[in-house]
Amino acid sequence: MTPPTPPPDEGFKENELASDIDVSQVHGSILRERAEPCDGYEPVPLWLITVFFAIIFWAGLYLAYFSGGFRADVFNPDRVAWAGGGPAVAAGPVDPKVLGKRVFTQNCVVCHQTTGLGVAGQFPPLVGSEWVVGGDWHGDNHLVKILLNGLQGPIQVKGAAYNNAMPPWAQLDDEKISAVLTYIRSEWGNSAPAISADYVKKIREASAAQTEPWTQKALQAIPGEKAPDAAAPAAAPAAAPAAPEATPAASPAAA
Amino acid sequence: MNKLPLLFLGVFITFASSWLGLVAYPYLTLGNMQPLPDEDTGGYFPPSQSGLAVAGQRVYAANGCVYCHSQQVRLAPLSTDIAKGLGPRQTVARDYLRAQPVFLGTMRTGPDLTNIGARQPDQNWHHKHLYEPQTVTDWSIMPSFRYLYKMQKIQGQPSADAIQGLAGPHAPAPGFEVVPSDDAKALVAYLISLKRNYPLPESPEPPAN
Amino acid sequence: MNPQSLISSFHPANNPDTLASHERAEIDASTRFPVLLFFASAIFWLLIGSLLGLISAWKMTHPGLFDQMAWLTFGRLRPAHLNTVIYGWASAAGIGVGVWLMARLCRVPLLHSKLLISAAIFWNLGVLVGVMGILAGDSRSIEWLEFPGYATPILFIAYAFIGIWAIIMFRFRRPGHVYVSQWYLFAAFLWFPWLYATANILLVWQPIQGSAQGAVNWWFAHNVLGLWFTPIGLASAYYMIPKVIGRPIHSYYLSILGFWSLALFYSWNGMHHLIGGPFPAWMVSASVVASIMMFIPVVTVAINHHMTMRGHFGALKWSPTLRFTVFGAMTYTVVSLQGSSMAIPSLNTLTHFTDYTIGHAHLGLYGFFSMMMFGAMYYIVPRLTGWEWPSANAIRWHFWLVAVGILLMVVSLSIGGILQGLAQFDPQVSFRSSLDYATPFRWIRGLSGFLLLGGHVVFAALFTLMLLKVGRQKEGPALFAAPVKPEAAPL
Repeated sequence: MTPPTPPPDEGFKENELASDIDVSQVHGSILRERAEPCDGYEPVPLWLITVFFAIIFWAGLYLAYFSGGFRADVFNPDRVAWAGGGPAVAAGPVDPKVLGKRVFTQNCVVCHQTTGLGVAGQFPPLVGSEWVVGGDWHGDNHLVKILLNGLQGPIQVKGAAYNNAMPPWAQLDDEKISAVLTYIRSEWGNSAPAISADYVKKIREASAAQTEPWTQKALQAIPGEKAPDAAAPAAAPAAAPAAPEATPAASPAAA
Repeated sequence: MNKLPLLFLGVFITFASSWLGLVAYPYLTLGNMQPLPDEDTGGYFPPSQSGLAVAGQRVYAANGCVYCHSQQVRLAPLSTDIAKGLGPRQTVARDYLRAQPVFLGTMRTGPDLTNIGARQPDQNWHHKHLYEPQTVTDWSIMPSFRYLYKMQKIQGQPSADAIQGLAGPHAPAPGFEVVPSDDAKALVAYLISLKRNYPLPESPEPPAN
Repeated sequence: MNPQSLISSFHPANNPDTLASHERAEIDASTRFPVLLFFASAIFWLLIGSLLGLISAWKMTHPGLFDQMAWLTFGRLRPAHLNTVIYGWASAAGIGVGVWLMARLCRVPLLHSKLLISAAIFWNLGVLVGVMGILAGDSRSIEWLEFPGYATPILFIAYAFIGIWAIIMFRFRRPGHVYVSQWYLFAAFLWFPWLYATANILLVWQPIQGSAQGAVNWWFAHNVLGLWFTPIGLASAYYMIPKVIGRPIHSYYLSILGFWSLALFYSWNGMHHLIGGPFPAWMVSASVVASIMMFIPVVTVAINHHMTMRGHFGALKWSPTLRFTVFGAMTYTVVSLQGSSMAIPSLNTLTHFTDYTIGHAHLGLYGFFSMMMFGAMYYIVPRLTGWEWPSANAIRWHFWLVAVGILLMVVSLSIGGILQGLAQFDPQVSFRSSLDYATPFRWIRGLSGFLLLGGHVVFAALFTLMLLKVGRQKEGPALFAAPVKPEAAPL
């Protein structure tokens, strides 16, 4: 088939002015125009068709590998969920330090701040605090009791006076309390052994009678204890050590 | 291709295909998500916002914060958002349930704000920063939002709302103080509410290194 | 419509339909008022939008600029600039060009011009109310849809009028071969009101909850580019290139392939603005795939235009229309391939959230679409006003100011953006460093804004002189050089 020839340029044809278009409107810019555009009919190049199909093939592979099985709950394109595969979300035990940090961030930073430095005069710091790492009359049991029942009234922390109210956190389970205490005892330069969930459970049972938040005086009346060696978490991911910066649990200083 | 009905049909079908995939599907799946209950505190993930924070979203939208600040945490290896501390995990659809509108953002002229409430929980810091960003971060190119604040003469006692520690060329002269307007208070309440560090099963945290 | 006539509609037409001069004159006379109204509005908004963009650009390097007033804060100026240039300049210019092209290609004088004039009035009103609303603080902060809820229905009415007009015009066209530009225009005029209505309902009037908003938002914004601006720009290129050089378009079959692959793939691209974002993985992957598939329509159109132009690139020396149009068409290929590359996730890590994206956006909307519109307007306005452009030198100034301006802007933002992206990707590098890398390139971008604004002022002056028919009537068209008539092309 031969492509059509474009028509010659239109000249001014007097006898076609049947309509009431004014002669002066058919001005130079229209007269010099070439014909209206028309189509040629060259075939589609073969290489383009080949490339087209190659791209379609690649597209199919990409969608197969990076679509997370087309599930609505898979947000990570690197996770491949084949038909009949397990749940999209791998359920594994959480590293206690990760859990502890999360619990701390959700619940504690409002007062104690992300830096653990608290707010001067209002909320006591946790960094280097004897209440957290031990020292003087402070024991690990006191720390757990504070988490379980709260603390109020005038207290002394690192030589500074505070008089506020910390709410109880008994609604957190033993694992979360042990995780957050382990976290604050090993963060910001603090270096104290981990506290196990079993120990928290033991203290929780022992404090069952306590209904009011503790005061410093009431806590001082109870002899301080050290928590026993926290066992390494059984199913922790390989990257998480049990108590990374902990000093040996057998501390020479008695409470 | 000379037929109007054929053209119309083709134009409609191609359009409808993307409408189904990118509009109807998210509407039905993501749009109907529910928050997850939180056993520890009795609340929900994502936590509900205070009324002031909801009002703050309107101020955020009105002043175009989204054109410099994003609000999404992405996974490795595509990004290093988590390694840089922008958040503990990838943000997913459920995280934005309370957002109206959703400020995902497409520019990081300024830092990502997904977890700004966890990084900077102090109200006064935010007010100082909004009033005169360069006094808090001297290399910042964030414009000043001092039109959201009022400079007033101290009447007797300083106001409880007054911003502490202002410096720089627009700091109040002695005897004067700067107080936030309602819009500023709402905006700061919203910013402090931006925390996406609670757990969600569909977005597991990468293991700590 | 029986199968026979369906097949024959693809069959090569034996004789291209043509128009006699007096018919062209009649058609042009019928389109004069609506098209010039849209053009005048578009150029007005172009000046305002360029100014808003210039101030926004300098605010990024000088944050203290105009920072006392709420309505001049960057967060309001930037969306005001975006919406003014998209809805005020680009859409209006596109509608004007599209109307004229439709009338010529349907080969009937304009029907229902009052519908178009009402559309122009509503649309101007909508843009004015919308922009004032953004500056007043009622912006929705939904990208590309920032107009407050009280402005969008006004715009929607205007666009609905245009969609209705397009259907009527196409229905009552002169029977015969339907040229490729008409497919693109018809599709664009239908797609846009659908897009606009869906996006407004789901994002503004009855907002859906959660990150689904992001998906709908970027489905809308990318489709404004791909299903509204791109078809109008391509329709103009498909008309102007063969028209000016007097040759047929290379291949009807490539035209078909290009049109339908664009329709199918372009609309799935939206999620590539949100790679890594809070969406099911398959949605993002589908958009990545669609973005790569765009290679097909883009290369197809590029081949079609290039093979049509082959042997006639000399015409670029003398024809303003062709120079702007071919600049736009070549930029279309470059920006689309750039966009496809940006959608690849490993490259997206470097470009997402950086100035590179801004450079890409301007290359597309300005380097492709606006330049295409300038070219079309240089062709159309003399035919509507009966006056020739008063000064070829001024057109030359316009061309070089904006060509250098846009290239400077895109190159500077692209380099700055990559450096920014590299810095943002490295956790050891502070955020401050990513800012420091970007800053000198933002200065260059700011300077390019002056060039662009200057070019627009020249163009606006030329247009005003055309409307007022000031000065002596020129003999013959305003061309850059004496035209060399192409030899009778052997076919």
